[in-house]
Amino acid sequence: MITRQFGSEVRWMLRRPRTLIGLFGLVLVPIVISFGIWTAGEDEGGGPPGLGAILQGNGMVVPIFTLFLSLNLLLPLVASIWAADGLAGEAQHGTLRGLLVAPVSRVRLLFVKLFGLAAMSLFAVTLMAVVGIIAGTAFLGTDGMMTLSGTTLDTGEGLLRIALFVVLVTFQMVSIGAVALAVSAATEHPLVVQAATMTTIIVFQVLGQFSSLDWLHPFLITTGFPGLIDVMRDPVPLDQIWDSTLLAGCYLLIGTGLAAMRLITKDN
Amino acid sequence: MTTSTSAPVTAPSTTAVAARTRGLRKEYGSTVAVDRVDLELPQGAVLGMLGPNGSGKTTTIRMLLGLVRPTEGEIELLGRRLPDGAEQVLPHVGALVEGPGFHPFLSGRENLVRCAAFEPLLPRKQIKQAVEEALDRVGLAQAAHRRYRGYSLGMKQRLGLAGALLVPRKLVVLDEPTNGLDPAGTREIRKIIAELHAAGSTVLVSSHLLSEVEATCTHVAVLHRGTVVAQGELTELLQAGGSALQVITPDVEKALSALRQAKISARPLGDGLRVELAGTSAPQVIETLVQGGARVFEATRWKTGLEELFARLTEAEEAERGMSAVDTLDGGSR
Repeated sequence: MITRQFGSEVRWMLRRPRTLIGLFGLVLVPIVISFGIWTAGEDEGGGPPGLGAILQGNGMVVPIFTLFLSLNLLLPLVASIWAADGLAGEAQHGTLRGLLVAPVSRVRLLFVKLFGLAAMSLFAVTLMAVVGIIAGTAFLGTDGMMTLSGTTLDTGEGLLRIALFVVLVTFQMVSIGAVALAVSAATEHPLVVQAATMTTIIVFQVLGQFSSLDWLHPFLITTGFPGLIDVMRDPVPLDQIWDSTLLAGCYLLIGTGLAAMRLITKDN
Repeated sequence: MTTSTSAPVTAPSTTAVAARTRGLRKEYGSTVAVDRVDLELPQGAVLGMLGPNGSGKTTTIRMLLGLVRPTEGEIELLGRRLPDGAEQVLPHVGALVEGPGFHPFLSGRENLVRCAAFEPLLPRKQIKQAVEEALDRVGLAQAAHRRYRGYSLGMKQRLGLAGALLVPRKLVVLDEPTNGLDPAGTREIRKIIAELHAAGSTVLVSSHLLSEVEATCTHVAVLHRGTVVAQGELTELLQAGGSALQVITPDVEKALSALRQAKISARPLGDGLRVELAGTSAPQVIETLVQGGARVFEATRWKTGLEELFARLTEAEEAERGMSAVDTLDGGSR
């Protein structure tokens, strides 16, 4: 029964026009990045220092670079849209009542929604990574993957690093989505959910800039984002990655808990 | 008017009651939406829930389905206490509450398939068949491939009904099912309710269309300002309403004085008068009139209609509160 509900949820999300448009937009990012660096390389014969230097002739870095960039805004936005449609959107259309009368218990409904969010996030991030690998290789070529530590990994090891990064980024995305679900359980207006989530992400990033607030930084989920790039080092230092993931895990638990509390007591 | 209201709820009954509420109360902030509702839905009955807009019909239904938590009171649905028993009994309950709710970007069929995926009583293999049958039953088979976004109000309503009928149900709850339907659609809904009744399902229909309820229901509950002001079998309620004689006569004054002398109560109405038949009979009234010199053109036995009963019940309540009944009556009888 629960697999059938999971399946229905994912199919429903995939059938939404906005999901397809969103996925299309996400896929464009690695293509545009690859293309941009390729043209920059043509013009200047070397590209900007640092970024360009790593990316030139190193197409395998494109997926990681793409996801790293998107994690700041684009992926939270997509997660918030899915979370918004999941509960607030269903309440708005009156379909939430239908599910509850079917009946789906409220806790299970939350897990179905969380599963849908996780499955679609994994799908979106994987899709971006795959397109990134293809576009990066096509535009920039590849000789394995050059790491931030200066070593070069062979293709197999590079793909493994990309897979690890996909999992880490997906987890961050799902955690943000879980908090968005808590907001989603409390309102009937999907836009409120998106606005609240995006405002939070942006405010967190701004707060992260002030060193006078550094006591606050360990609690901001956005503080963990930069540390994830450590997958590009050789060997991979795990402490920052672990901290980021642990922090996201806390957000996931708190978000899910709040969403459950709200959903259980909610009048529909 | 009902026989078993005094049965203790503490012994969850196996008696013929599909749903029962005791002392139901719901507050939204400082507003009391529903108060002291003791509703009884006999098994196999078609209960029409009547009431003006805002009388608490939908709130009561939402509490019955476990969508809303009552502030106070007890609910028993198909022999189980809510909310604890919800997961056991709700699969047997089909509902159309507060209008149909579907996703605009999916077709009618896809919407039903999604509903069906969450129906515990529907095995995966039967989903397709159940969906087609439900679409057929509400006359939507032709439009099933079209997006819900483009449906007319009546089609949306039909799809909502199809959702409630995906699985054979013990209880079907329909909140304003004929909203937005054309006369043909209304007749179809009546037919479906009759079919459900014949198949032994219990049906709860809320409506503000009195003719609708009179045509389809065996039982009636009248809600007004959040409380049940009357409930029971439709025929019993109507009989209790008493009867009268409508007399067409040009000699209203003569007729009235003749009746007054005979101690029969009457009042002018339209082209004649309306005579209460309490303690007297029609032949007696006509005899009195003729002897009094009033020419009787026509005399019709006035059967209390639901509309009148409803007006009286809600009016009485209004009078107690010293308020005008006009607004609510207008809202209720349209």
